[in-house]
Amino acid sequence: MHVEATHDVLVVGAGCAGMRAAIEAHDAGADVGVISKLHPTRSHSGAAEGGINAALGNAAEDSPASHTFDTVKGSDYIGDQDAIEILCREAPGDIYQLEHWGAVFSRREDGKLAQRPFGAAGSPRTVFAADITGHVLIQVLYEQLVKRGITVYEEFFAWKLVENDDRCQGVICWDLLNGGLKTVGGKTVVLATGGQGRIYRTTTNAYACTGDGAAMALHLGLPLKDMEFMQFHPTTLYPTGILLTEGCRGEGAYLITKDGERFMKRYAPNAMELASRDVVSRSEQTEIDQGRGIDGSIFLDMRHLGAARIIERLPGSRELAMTFAGIDPIYDPVPVRPGAHYHMGGVETDNDGATELTGLYAAGEVACVSVHGANRLGGNSLMETITFGRRAGRAAAEWALSHTTVDVPRSAEVDAERELRELLDVADGERPWQIRNDLGTSMLENFGVFRREEQMLAQLDIMDGLRDRYERGVVIEDKGDVFNTDLTQAIELGNMLDLAWCMVQAGIARKESRGAHARPYDYPTRDDENFMKHSISRWVDGAPQLSYSEVRVTEYEPMERTY
Amino acid sequence: MQVGLKVWRFNARTGERELAEYEVDAPEEATLLDVLDIVKDKHDGTLAYRKSCRMMICGSCGMRMDGAAVLACKTRMYEIAQAGHVPVISAMGNLPIVKDLVVDMGPFWQKFMSVDPFLRPGYDEPPGGRENLIRQERMNVIHKESLCINCGCCVSECNSMESDPRFTGPQALAKAMRFIGDPRDGHKIERLDALNGEHGIWECTRCYFCNERCPKGVDPRDAIAKLGAESMKEGIDGDMGAKHAKWFVVSAKTTGWLRETELVPKTQGLVAAIKQTRFALDLAVKGKVPPPVPPHVAKNVRQARRLYELVRDEDMNGYAGIVQGERALGKLAHGHVSGETLEEIYSRPGAFPRPYIAEEDEETVTT
Repeated sequence: MHVEATHDVLVVGAGCAGMRAAIEAHDAGADVGVISKLHPTRSHSGAAEGGINAALGNAAEDSPASHTFDTVKGSDYIGDQDAIEILCREAPGDIYQLEHWGAVFSRREDGKLAQRPFGAAGSPRTVFAADITGHVLIQVLYEQLVKRGITVYEEFFAWKLVENDDRCQGVICWDLLNGGLKTVGGKTVVLATGGQGRIYRTTTNAYACTGDGAAMALHLGLPLKDMEFMQFHPTTLYPTGILLTEGCRGEGAYLITKDGERFMKRYAPNAMELASRDVVSRSEQTEIDQGRGIDGSIFLDMRHLGAARIIERLPGSRELAMTFAGIDPIYDPVPVRPGAHYHMGGVETDNDGATELTGLYAAGEVACVSVHGANRLGGNSLMETITFGRRAGRAAAEWALSHTTVDVPRSAEVDAERELRELLDVADGERPWQIRNDLGTSMLENFGVFRREEQMLAQLDIMDGLRDRYERGVVIEDKGDVFNTDLTQAIELGNMLDLAWCMVQAGIARKESRGAHARPYDYPTRDDENFMKHSISRWVDGAPQLSYSEVRVTEYEPMERTY
Repeated sequence: MQVGLKVWRFNARTGERELAEYEVDAPEEATLLDVLDIVKDKHDGTLAYRKSCRMMICGSCGMRMDGAAVLACKTRMYEIAQAGHVPVISAMGNLPIVKDLVVDMGPFWQKFMSVDPFLRPGYDEPPGGRENLIRQERMNVIHKESLCINCGCCVSECNSMESDPRFTGPQALAKAMRFIGDPRDGHKIERLDALNGEHGIWECTRCYFCNERCPKGVDPRDAIAKLGAESMKEGIDGDMGAKHAKWFVVSAKTTGWLRETELVPKTQGLVAAIKQTRFALDLAVKGKVPPPVPPHVAKNVRQARRLYELVRDEDMNGYAGIVQGERALGKLAHGHVSGETLEEIYSRPGAFPRPYIAEEDEETVTT
């Protein structure tokens, strides 16, 4: 093994954030390479359904300031307000650019881009393409990648970041198709590896969402921020956890109990079904816990929207409900429940995606700028991938173009080779799947929508046991070189175990209820005096160590959060 | 439930194939992908297949079940298992197998690249840097083509590609239509020209397997038809396939019947036709070719001509005719046609209780 190729900017991950970063870096004059463990169009950004927020004002009066206010409030006041201002100010320009590139967005009568209402938004602000918005974006970004002839290392599993000279200088990867470790060098590296929803057994996330980028950064000693905040989406399909978009409620769908009651009246009398996601998920869980659901689910009722509107605006959701639950939403409500959906935390970055390590940038769900704080608003994550993907790509290119050399020390590669051998040589022991399932089940049970001190403490013990089992050595049955996903899945499991540890540790220490972190039994309210701050998790001597940092406030003082 | 599977394994190192049989315990809601996962976890970690989203949008898990391309994540196993059937799972067709159910998608992406798969804007950007103004009806022209998830199921099943691996193929052609039908693209003629050459649109045999097997309702064959119609409309009709299609129209318009005898010279030219005289005579002797003279004129030929004029007068030329004929969005909707009122839906037998808000309208609760 030795260095395969070297680029000015090396992007890891090819979802919306990664591809947007690559395009921007290319346009800034850099030679760009993109690494992805999937083909770019298979990335999970493509599964985003409902839309992307920008204050275009096409459907009603709107402004970036209003978008900023909603986002700050939605974040439960620990989003960094300067970052949120950037997002909301730059979003409209980014949307117009996507439209000029050919994005197939839905339109209004007057030919402008259509915008639909979304949760906790003061105005219909969500630009969309029926209910396949992510798919449309991933296609248009890939088209632009192809147009520019940007090099893509498809089905390269990124395993380790190379740090040398206090700089990030490349990535060591496992080549899935051909086998073997390959090193790709980069003057700068942009992490855009997405989320880590697979830590939970019921999740909307793809199998690929295993937090690889966050784990690589963690293991390099970089700070991860706000790890305790995992968003539970209110409408994931029973029993598989597949996402039904918030756009369903944006188009007017109701949430009802088994008796038909629109229960949101009791929790968010004004916004009703379009309250913030954390609020809706908690309301649902309360209804379910009190016995007003069926099979641990409540119901998403679209019947009154009528066949024409469902077919025109929500065809994908209808297809999913019909395929995976056998229910046609034109005739029957769909059983849904909260499911792990989006991780607000991630690798700490500044407003240009730069991390603490020179030459390393991050954007998208893997990063924590933070614009989402304790709770993300629907439609803001796609926008974040585009706006902050672009900013990270620009910053990475500018740094790379003013520096010259890349040096990957041979020792880094030798170490990786040895570690790989050790992994593959385990002959006796447990297969990884049982550990993976135990992690997913226990996290859902003990670190879900509602959190109890004793359950979180128990979860730490459970995970101690899981890590022990993992470290004793798991058996990888496939010893071959070609398409060895048995190997990559085992590595992913190791990543998830470490990230879950950070999450639970930060959760126990946050003795308040804020956004997605709800402790109704011991700390039911928000405590701005002690906890209006970011949790910071660092890997020190093989364990996460917790500290805190200040929230950047511009002009929005914390207020009570009702919908 | 117990589910049985036979999987065509392919050893990348030795090139050996083996039909392996598995029987696993799976939950009732399990899909083919779930069952493969159980096999990989608990029975054989060396089994290779692609997967990611498990919700029919990433396009990773295209494979064949009993010889027909499917997305593994979309295929529910309950009924198959209940029927006691043990399906045979194999890699997609028309693409080289790498290992087990994993194919080399390289040739697929090469064809994708060959159609310049990106917008080539033909017009100035709108003032103020804002969006182009386009009606939804106009965008619906490319709605179905833009649903494509690049899974490769259509390419796997393409009969034309099986005989000519260089055929551009259903996916790339649907992608081409996505740009040719886009009002923001300015290179329609150039694109159509390129697709009218060898290995282009006229090489499709219209077997409709791609429409049949596409898991997303893209209907690539319809896209190819749109490209053909648009080519004709723009006068790009030099290809043999185009001439062939045109002769059908001329023939139907003039006599109301297809005049097969003239089909060969009109399509392939006089020289080629003369070379096939012997073959034609053999056919004639067997009664397979109607005598060219006197021409066979349909009794109600005027109706055929009127039909032709109607289509022309309605300006249903080119892709517009096909797009409007299929009612693009309706077809997506699992063929939904019924027009019940909400009241009827709420009072269907066994219907779920109608929604109400406690206190405000409790009187509407159905008991």
